[in-house]
Amino acid sequence: MNTLVQRFSTTGPAAEIRKAKEVLGEEDDVVDVMGFGNLASGVPKFSIPGVPDPSAFLKMHTDDFADPSCRIKIKHGTTTLAFRFKGGVIVAVDSRATAGSYIASGTVKKVIEINPYLLGTMAGGAADCQYWETYLGIQCRLHELRNRERISVAAASKYLSNLVYSYKGMGLSMGTMICGWDKTGPAVYYVDSDGTRLKGDVFSVGSGSTFAYGVLDQGYHWDLSDEEAQELGRRSIYAAGHRDAFSGNTINLYHVKEDGWKFIGNYDVSKMHYDGPDGRGGYGYDLRVEGKSSANPPSSA
Amino acid sequence: MPDGSFSHPQERQFNPYTENGGTILAIAGADFSVVAGDTRQSEGYSIQTRYAPKVFRLTDRAVLAVNGFAADGNMFVKKVKQRLEWYRHAHAKDMPLRAIARLIQTMLYAQRFFPYYVYNILGGIEEDGTGAVYSFDPVGSYEREACRAAGAAQALVQPFLDNQIYFKNQQAPVGSSHPVHLPLQDVLSIVIDSFTSATERHIEVGDGLEIYVIVAKGRSPQGLESIRNVQELSTNPEGDRVFVIRRELKKD
Amino acid sequence: MASASVYRGAGFDFSNTVRNSFLEQRGVPLPKATSTGTTIVGCLFKDGIVLGADTRATEGPIVADKNCEKIHFISDNIRCCGAGTAADTEFTTALIASNMEMHALSTGRKPRVVTAMTMLKQMLYRYQGHIGAALVLGGVDATGPQLFTIHPHGSTDKLPYVTMGSGSLAAMAVFEAGWKPDMERQEALDLVTAAISAGIFNDLGSGSNVDACVITADRTEMLRNFVKPNERVEKERRYVFRRGTTAYKSEQIRSLVVEETVTRTGEAMDTS
Repeated sequence: MNTLVQRFSTTGPAAEIRKAKEVLGEEDDVVDVMGFGNLASGVPKFSIPGVPDPSAFLKMHTDDFADPSCRIKIKHGTTTLAFRFKGGVIVAVDSRATAGSYIASGTVKKVIEINPYLLGTMAGGAADCQYWETYLGIQCRLHELRNRERISVAAASKYLSNLVYSYKGMGLSMGTMICGWDKTGPAVYYVDSDGTRLKGDVFSVGSGSTFAYGVLDQGYHWDLSDEEAQELGRRSIYAAGHRDAFSGNTINLYHVKEDGWKFIGNYDVSKMHYDGPDGRGGYGYDLRVEGKSSANPPSSA
Repeated sequence: MPDGSFSHPQERQFNPYTENGGTILAIAGADFSVVAGDTRQSEGYSIQTRYAPKVFRLTDRAVLAVNGFAADGNMFVKKVKQRLEWYRHAHAKDMPLRAIARLIQTMLYAQRFFPYYVYNILGGIEEDGTGAVYSFDPVGSYEREACRAAGAAQALVQPFLDNQIYFKNQQAPVGSSHPVHLPLQDVLSIVIDSFTSATERHIEVGDGLEIYVIVAKGRSPQGLESIRNVQELSTNPEGDRVFVIRRELKKD
Repeated sequence: MASASVYRGAGFDFSNTVRNSFLEQRGVPLPKATSTGTTIVGCLFKDGIVLGADTRATEGPIVADKNCEKIHFISDNIRCCGAGTAADTEFTTALIASNMEMHALSTGRKPRVVTAMTMLKQMLYRYQGHIGAALVLGGVDATGPQLFTIHPHGSTDKLPYVTMGSGSLAAMAVFEAGWKPDMERQEALDLVTAAISAGIFNDLGSGSNVDACVITADRTEMLRNFVKPNERVEKERRYVFRRGTTAYKSEQIRSLVVEETVTRTGEAMDTS
């Protein structure tokens, strides 16, 4: 941890030595500004506050769970899922971002299109996921140029997990699924900022994941048809949006096949509740109790 | 300590952040974009100044609104402007809007472990001539949207915009649908009403209002010239045009 | 053991304090009380006292009331401006007003300002600052014009010109620049208006209108909304929703008119 801080720090003795080296031309041209332009060549640099414990400093100003009055609010609350089946990979996510009890946005794109064959999902810190998965996209392209073939999902996810592991303890927050199709067929990997990397068939991440799993596990089967699989993904996110206060608004649905991913659609959770995806009966239980209670008389009455 | 000396090293918590109040908002139209902010800067119950701009023209087609900690905000805008200047020298043209958005992401994320305490909203015209709004969190996650409010009165203004721009909780008359984009005059009225209302009910909002309007190249400014207190800031009347409208807000 | 009585003694109920302090430790914030982050002032002049107050009440950064009354009645010849927790200032002054009336009835004399001041400070001291009331008390009695400030812990000051609340520094600046002994009524009223205005415009906790109250030996004049420098501006658009805007799931129409038929039996009663 301390060596890490020294490596990335812009203040303190290590940084002074590094700066001196730069002046003496002992190191490569290091541009002081951060951008993807110099990212390809190595690990980017971050400015670190000159305090004894930078991650405690960051936590003090960003952890709204421990201190609701902290000034920098980082968005939390999500439901994401991905599963593998015979027809490829289904990726479904909600679109809500919350800061405490406030819905900061209802239109978040939680599926990050890394390249035409790879998708990443977003849970935890929105910026961490967006930035590092974009960065992963650059590295995947470089892999293609160097090796004249597409990167495998296993390799791409391992690149990401190694990267976030090098920042362990510094406050990154990501829970992501890297999904794609490579030589081995459909693949889903779970990667998080603790450094965990898991290969699997069915994953769901976020505050609403338990609700999504409930529907997903019940309906999951390897031999699902494309339509059935898409419906299962949509229905599972709906369940989370319905029961988890920190998930909801809309559902984004993707399907990864051999020729890359395809965006299936955006579905309003309320519309799913009342009307359903095709307007012929919603997911809500109004239909199922019709005529069975005085509060829900048959529609003909 | 009785003698005033300290027998142990004393650690003080380093707090480089304060909150300077105020509110910003932006709305995208079909071929224009509106970015606005109040001009009050405060700390606690004191007004530091009644005129501190929070909205800045970056190029003829991009305007950036910055809200949160004013010192971080001003420094951030300065650095963005510098990067855009370098781009101009290297490429002999202005940076496109979507590229500015990505630039702002990387600049914010470079400070991931020592964040700029600022909420950014970028408004302007895309290369295809459509109006656009990008909103950012303090560490650089961003999204293109149709409208966004941020700052002290965000929770007061955003629900109003959701209702009036996205027509949330409003059912369209049978056999018709809500418009996708509103005309400029309607958007300007909604922006002004948002700020007069926020001024009424939020103590940190008030004093002055600056509304930047970016109109796409070749499009009519839709009667913008006839509005009082309007000023054109664009360098080329043939390209995308930037206007600013200044209004007074209540000062209590 | 006696069962819990449904009757309680007079005064505050402390039965939730232990629970609430436990909840606070667990990170559950207490509900925010409406506070009058206020500017209130009082000033002595030749014939009496002028009191002044703004009219903004806040809940954190949100304006809860744009035109509240902060000059409270104590007796015909005594008024009290309140800053701090709105409920505390309101109930404390109301209680003291009652007690002053009782005192006046039992002594058969016109009440004195010092009496109200003593009652207030003794009550606030007893509650050790937990009653969040900061007061400016003024009036004219048998001993002449009197002006006091009472702090939430019970300490008091007796001064010719006083300010309280979050706008007190802005208002005091005006007093320090403009106050002089033996001012005329109009001069004093103008000075108080200027002091409150300084609070309204320079302190975010204060706003809206100026209330004033002029108390002299022969009469008390309450000048509610004496100056209104912050009228609401007209909106650019009208926000009227078309009938049918709100979606609904089902519709049920019931007649609430009870219809009944009255059948006469036998002869009508003689009511003459």
